[in-house]
Amino acid sequence: MTSWKEQLGDRIPDQLAGEVELFEGQIELKKQGKLDDKIFAETRLRRGVYGQRYDNGLRDDGTGQKTLTFPCGDLTKGPDTVWDAPGMMRIKIPFGKLTVEQLEVLSELAEENSDSILHVTTRQDIQLHYIHIEEAPDMMRRLASVGITTREACGNSVRNVTACEYAGVCTTQAFDVTPYADAITKYLLGHPDVQDFGRKFKIAFSGCEDNPCGLVTFHDLGAVAQVRNGKRGFRVVVGGGLGAVPVQAKVLAEFCPEEELLPLAQAVSRVFARLGEKQSRARARIKFLVQKVGIDEFKRLVAEERETLRPDERWTAFLDDLHSTDEKPVREAGEIPSDAPAGFQTWAKHNLKPQAQDGYFSAIVKLPLGDFTSTQGRALAQLAQDLTGDSMRCTVEQNLTFRWLSGADAVTFYERLLALNMAEGGAGTITDMTSCPGTDTCKLGISASRGLTGELRNRLSVIEDELHPAVQALRMKASGCFNSCGQHHAADIGFTGVSRQVGGRKVPHFNVVLGGQWTENAKSYGLVVGAVPSKNIPKAVELITEYYLANREGEESFQAFMARVGKREFRKVLAPIQKPPPYEEDPSYYSDWGNPREYTIGDIGVGECAGEIVPFVEFGLQEAEQQLHDAQDALEAGQAAAAATGAFTAMVTAAKALVRHLEVQVKDDSDDVVANFRTHLYDTELFHDPFAKGKFAEYLLKMHGDQSYKSASEEIAHSTLDEAQLFLEAAHACYQRLTEAAAAAAE
Amino acid sequence: MQATKFQVKLYTKTSDIELEKLVPVFHEWIRAKKISDELLIDVADYAHVPQGPGVVLIGHQSDYYVDVADNRPGLLYSRKRGFEGDLRAGIDDAFRRALKACQLLEEESSLGLAFATNEVLFRVQDRLSAPNADATYDAYKPALEQSTAAFFGGAASLERVGDEREPFAVRISTGANGTVADALARH
Ligand code: HEM
Ligand code: SF4
Repeated sequence: MTSWKEQLGDRIPDQLAGEVELFEGQIELKKQGKLDDKIFAETRLRRGVYGQRYDNGLRDDGTGQKTLTFPCGDLTKGPDTVWDAPGMMRIKIPFGKLTVEQLEVLSELAEENSDSILHVTTRQDIQLHYIHIEEAPDMMRRLASVGITTREACGNSVRNVTACEYAGVCTTQAFDVTPYADAITKYLLGHPDVQDFGRKFKIAFSGCEDNPCGLVTFHDLGAVAQVRNGKRGFRVVVGGGLGAVPVQAKVLAEFCPEEELLPLAQAVSRVFARLGEKQSRARARIKFLVQKVGIDEFKRLVAEERETLRPDERWTAFLDDLHSTDEKPVREAGEIPSDAPAGFQTWAKHNLKPQAQDGYFSAIVKLPLGDFTSTQGRALAQLAQDLTGDSMRCTVEQNLTFRWLSGADAVTFYERLLALNMAEGGAGTITDMTSCPGTDTCKLGISASRGLTGELRNRLSVIEDELHPAVQALRMKASGCFNSCGQHHAADIGFTGVSRQVGGRKVPHFNVVLGGQWTENAKSYGLVVGAVPSKNIPKAVELITEYYLANREGEESFQAFMARVGKREFRKVLAPIQKPPPYEEDPSYYSDWGNPREYTIGDIGVGECAGEIVPFVEFGLQEAEQQLHDAQDALEAGQAAAAATGAFTAMVTAAKALVRHLEVQVKDDSDDVVANFRTHLYDTELFHDPFAKGKFAEYLLKMHGDQSYKSASEEIAHSTLDEAQLFLEAAHACYQRLTEAAAAAAE
Repeated sequence: MQATKFQVKLYTKTSDIELEKLVPVFHEWIRAKKISDELLIDVADYAHVPQGPGVVLIGHQSDYYVDVADNRPGLLYSRKRGFEGDLRAGIDDAFRRALKACQLLEEESSLGLAFATNEVLFRVQDRLSAPNADATYDAYKPALEQSTAAFFGGAASLERVGDEREPFAVRISTGANGTVADALARH
């Protein structure tokens, strides 16, 4: 055979085949210089073909930034994205459900096109890294032949629809949400009403209120199964999200009957497409729209939109066969043998859960950092084929769950995992950490979230058995930056990468975020306690857990404890380890976990996680938001001067982002930033508000002039924070005006 | 179509290995352009994955793994793209690059690694042009034997391994017991 296209023939559904063909054509056009960079970038992103760190062709090797000279020369696959540079492929796995043959094909692709690693993401997808763009079309064909599409895995579109990994087998579910998640996935994929979003849109399902699995509260749209008077429906929430400033979703409908779910989602989509922010990406998620108009008005808009929809038979057709997504066990139900070996018992304690169906269990295969190899993938596929059937689910905690395991086979299952080195116990405990890719491969990464997670795993695995049960039960999650892909807000102990300037050098840090709630669908988010150097995070975990154990009352949970003692007490706990030693004393603090290169943030690129590429300026504006958020925390903790200084820093960060956006070279120090801001944005009146004129800019100029923030009283700090807030708003508005003007000029 | 995604693995003499130590070594190789005719990009650390790819030096044309698959540490050279030449030349090139990398690793005093030359695993990561089947084996066997003889001398014995779900793989007992340097010198 000469090509996959020929080899696979009609095993590729026509529509998918056509899409791949089109993409291949665009690759060709791009190579011939006949396609615009931005358009091509959008095209590939919408098909799940992402950029990866260093794909601008620049990389700091620890001694300065060097150019990676790829053979492709000037050819690019997007603005500042070198054609030959390795990229990432995000493969959409609706509600994480994997069949045997899908896992086999994914494993093949991992070794033929990637580095033999399959990575489970926090949204139940599978990612492969170090992919060459020209290999993507054949990969897509092979995926399509087993019913997988990467379409709309990225871009300003409906992302992977997630759902509890126990849907259908759970003991606490109202009913199986799988067919609904399946129906909404199919209905919205490629639907005209979801093509014009200003930003990505994430949907999640949960089978019950109390358990965490669905995590609906931080989704753009969430549906929680409910039965009322014998009728099925959903409590629907809207406008949740993580990111720099996390937001809990608001209730859109207390009870949406099952037949109204799809039209409701469609109506929400239409409102979002029509009224959502389009210019400023930093404000474009639906959460901002809900905040702006208020949930009551939003409800009214949706209801009004619902009335205008033309009925579509797909809204209810799937209800005729809600068993279409059912999984059939391949083995008879049975009891776990009473003489099961001790190792099995330990593993089963956290990794085996009884199903609603007698004699069947769900088994969690715990994956270190969400990774497994192609060889393991094939062996797992075989295991599923032999014992559980097509019942695997990728989980939001980056594990794999096998459902429909007969109790009679549980020991065999465990022993076969053992042979694969995959029988690690402690699923859902402190050793089962979640991490986003961070600086390993993400262009936006600030700190090494995976490096940190790996380090914590190593340390904890040694002492795991000696840990107090209350500590064992804690969840830890890490994100490499404020975008929060690691979902750290929903962890007992969470970490977000930040960098700090110490003695003229950058030092990798993590903000420690405590007391987030995983249960009840991530009901509340953790609070930032403070930044700690990366290398001191293991110590921080030790101090936090010791303090908790020593001071908790009775069986008090970590959230309850945190709520009682507050951030302030924890700040004291962390204070002794917040300052890194000088470089001369211990240079190890000046590089990150798992990365011996001297730390730099120079490698941060232009992110491209949602449709259009994220311009650096937006990254800067987000960072400023985060700094302001931290400043608010400091004020609450009674640190007035620190709060005011933080607010000033946030303004400088925003100003710098705008100055850089104008392609003006600017240094990192505030004098240079403010001087350039004055010349290029204030004197030119570019920053001027249509009504308030130069007022907001003057906040920064004045503050920089008199340096009042340095010794601010609480009252001054308050007003400084207010001013900074207004300044950031003005910065966003200014950026928007600049973009609009540029767009107008282009036309 | 001729496959180019050849992999060659040579095993370390002892089975204990501290993978973390490879991370700084590979970063230094990038910095110092140790493999001068290849573009080296980054280091991927999978030390946390049992029996996994270990630590990978990611390049544009090929990757270099110090992997621990099957609990047998070794250097796995993996050609990804850009080879032009016939089958024999492709295999020779992969052998040479693998051996060269072993030599560089042996020179790293922080690692204390030594590689055996009596056994080589050869694989092709391309199920389209080289499925794990008898026909592929027949097509590759002569070239593999010639390359093995050219590098290692002696009488080699070859065995196709794995099933059709796995990549095409051949385990070669080279019959040699010399050093990596010997093999490089012989060719
Ligand atoms: C190029 C790499 C990536 C970029 C630029 C990126 C960017 C972002 C941004 C900007 C947000 C915040 C969205 C918002 O609330 O406005 C976000 C959220 C999130 N991302 Fe990513 N991301 C990247 C990779 C990933 C990866 C690899 C994963 C999965 C492992 C991931 C999973 C998530 C999740 C779970 C959230 C939070 C959930 C939510 O509120 O939507 N992201 N990402
Ligand atoms: S949290 Fe930041 S570093 Fe981590 S994947 Fe998301 S964007 Fe990248």
